[in-house]
Amino acid sequence: MILQLDTIFQHQFKVDDSVYNGFINTFDDQNSLHINDEFAQNKGFKSKVMHGNILNGFLSYFIGELLPTEDVMILSQTINFKNPVYLNDILNFEAVVSEQSEAVQVNTFKFKFVNAELKTVASGKIQIKELT
Amino acid sequence: MNKEEILGKLTAIFHEELDNDDIVLSFETTADDIEEWDSLSHIQLIVAVEKAFKVPFTSSEIQSWNNVGEMIDCIIAK
Repeated sequence: MILQLDTIFQHQFKVDDSVYNGFINTFDDQNSLHINDEFAQNKGFKSKVMHGNILNGFLSYFIGELLPTEDVMILSQTINFKNPVYLNDILNFEAVVSEQSEAVQVNTFKFKFVNAELKTVASGKIQIKELT
Repeated sequence: MNKEEILGKLTAIFHEELDNDDIVLSFETTADDIEEWDSLSHIQLIVAVEKAFKVPFTSSEIQSWNNVGEMIDCIIAK
């Protein structure tokens, strides 16, 4: 297999205006929690909360662009949101190859996103197949 | 575990992985018998079976199976 068990990948992502506006322009999710600071503050958040699925976009970038091969496809992914992400947050991403199946060339990653306050904002698993 | 017990455990895995609780497995069941059992779900089934039974398969073993019964024989042989 191209990837090796226990290999760790790290990357830093920033949820900047370009990412935030790009997501809204593409998917049109304008729920008040995501666009209205006052609304979000009334719900107990610091400011408007970024869409959780922005992180799924980062996961797509990780699989598509950061692995040592392009010969991969995602089979499944799960993500659990644990803490809010705010505009301009910098997220440290780490993924480790936690399981492999040689027979079908499948790798499972455990991943997490950690914010500047060292809080895990999301974690989960991605299963990918190496294409031969 | 005997063959029947493994078949029962496999049935639960198939229900979970293929999102269909109506699937009834027998030793003679093949992918042609189950609509959801396509090439991608086959990969996820193999991974789930390896994990559940804690047995790694080889690609040649997988390719040699003609039905669920032969998969069970392979699990027992591990």
